[in-house]
Amino acid sequence: MTYPIKGEHLHKHYKKQVVLDDVSLTLHEGEIYGLIGPSGAGKTTLVKILLGLEKADSGTVQLFEQPPTLHAFRSLGYMAQSDALYNELSAYQNLEFFASVQGLRGKEKKERILEAAKHVNLENALKKNVAQFSGGMRRRLSLAAALVHEPRLYLLDEPTVGLDPLIRRNIWTLFQYLKGKGASMIVTTHVMDEVARCDRVGLLSEGHIIAEGSPEALIQEFNVSSVEDIFLLKEGAHL
Amino acid sequence: MMNLFAMARRIIRQIVRDKRTLALLIIAPLIILTLVWYIFGAKTSEPNLAIINYESSDLVPAFKKADYERMTPLQARRALADNKIDAYVDLKHPVAVHLEGSDPSRNGLAISKIQKSMQAVQRIGIRKMKNQFQEMIKNQQQAIRNQQQIIRQMTGALKHYSPSALSGIQLNSPGKAQQVKIAPSSGEKTHLNVTYLHGSDELNTFDSFGPAMVGIFVFLFIFMIGGVSFLRERTTGTLDRLMASPIKNYQIIWGYMIGFGLFVILQSFILTCFIVYVLHIYNVGNLFNVLVIVFILSFSALSLSILMSTAAKNELQMFQFIPLVIVPQVFLSGLFPIETLPGWVQTIGSLMPVHYSTDALRNIMIRGTGFSGWWLDGLVLLVFSLVFITINIFALRASRPLAS
Repeated sequence: MTYPIKGEHLHKHYKKQVVLDDVSLTLHEGEIYGLIGPSGAGKTTLVKILLGLEKADSGTVQLFEQPPTLHAFRSLGYMAQSDALYNELSAYQNLEFFASVQGLRGKEKKERILEAAKHVNLENALKKNVAQFSGGMRRRLSLAAALVHEPRLYLLDEPTVGLDPLIRRNIWTLFQYLKGKGASMIVTTHVMDEVARCDRVGLLSEGHIIAEGSPEALIQEFNVSSVEDIFLLKEGAHL
Repeated sequence: MMNLFAMARRIIRQIVRDKRTLALLIIAPLIILTLVWYIFGAKTSEPNLAIINYESSDLVPAFKKADYERMTPLQARRALADNKIDAYVDLKHPVAVHLEGSDPSRNGLAISKIQKSMQAVQRIGIRKMKNQFQEMIKNQQQAIRNQQQIIRQMTGALKHYSPSALSGIQLNSPGKAQQVKIAPSSGEKTHLNVTYLHGSDELNTFDSFGPAMVGIFVFLFIFMIGGVSFLRERTTGTLDRLMASPIKNYQIIWGYMIGFGLFVILQSFILTCFIVYVLHIYNVGNLFNVLVIVFILSFSALSLSILMSTAAKNELQMFQFIPLVIVPQVFLSGLFPIETLPGWVQTIGSLMPVHYSTDALRNIMIRGTGFSGWWLDGLVLLVFSLVFITINIFALRASRPLAS
């Protein structure tokens, strides 16, 4: 079994605040890993460190079992918490730019753009200016930009935030489809009904992974009715 | 290579689709330069002057009626207080000038005008003196003639009564009496004969300020637009997305340079043609040389703005750099002489890109020098750009610390 992402003993602090305290995370090939935790728990920092966009104080990160290289980024789809789109451009031009940067050319690029747009139901809005997009459309376009080059590995930071339930369900169907094609992904979320759709989840709280495993196993292990309750249990609340 | 062009193409598309930015980049400098042209290029207005106590003075011809209003002392004092005239001249105590005095530039105008009249006053004085001398000489000649008359009569008498004494006197006399002639006076010609090595007497303030102004406004607008546009890349998260892609740091920075470069060429071309052909700024140099300098300057502005955006967290912080980066350039650009300033201020001045563009543009436009006159300034500007670009590429590494 290979590991698309492996982070070991990661520490990170900003000024006096400790954000990550000895966090280790291994993503298995072909799984959806849900990183859950309250806001401020360090999810985004962890994702950025795994990507190599931020340097950990100590610890190691491996992408595809190697230290991160530019070449590895070709097989990686990243979606940040912000939409990260160019407002002046049309949806098509946005996708076209990110596809070009990922090395797609000519006819292949065009096909991939249309496919990615179809995945997020934006194929009819491609000519529109992104500035006229609603929040949900922007989120979906941002996701399309992350998957336009068909990466093997996805790091998605809150991909469904601000989307209505129907679209959210469609997007999770898309994740399952991508997984079926062999992709692995780390998804951060704090929506608990999404947790059940993950193969494995890691609970991040105050810089520690307090529990990790499949949702069912966790519920059994801690004897709680939902994964959410584990946070409360750890806080010392009596259920 | 393809990434570089993808980057450049995206920036070109962004600017073309953002009409506001396009207008700010291309039209705004034209409007502002036109304004500046009206302000500095306008003919300076004539000072309003008056004379008092002129009735009994023979200096009046020096103060032409078209230039000096005739007033009574009371009228003049009131007009001065009401700011209707800038100064009045009292001819009773030649020559006392009373200035309104609140505006140094109008003081200067009034004084220089009055000084011109003073030349006429001096001419009148000289002529008066000449007339007096001539009068004096004429009187003396008359006196001499009268004496000669008497001597002739005495000679007649002597001839009659004692011829031997007369011949003794004639032997000792100093020849013929000399006629005194007055040479025509050359003192009246007081005009200066002025020639110009560079420029002409039609060179107005805008012509000498123009080259500095072009530099300042090109720099300002490129700095704002380039800086904000790169800053947005950070704040919207698109830079993170790029950092998580295989694009290389130098491709991002040079992509910006090329993408903006196209508009910079367009802007430089329009701006240069505008000031030369529409505003008719004084230009004896080659238009192409002007274009090259404006273009190189824009590049240094763009690369500096990207560098500054690294240190800014949002648009407001970006604009906070304007007083720090742009305003000193205005004052140290060569608009005002800096030779007399303290050494450290001059050192700051020599770190300002606009300083070099002004120097080069003045050499080209006013002195008409070719490549030999501006290559050094152009080179310094290029070095500025290359240094900024290199720092930018290294600064981007901080955004992607692991993979480089």
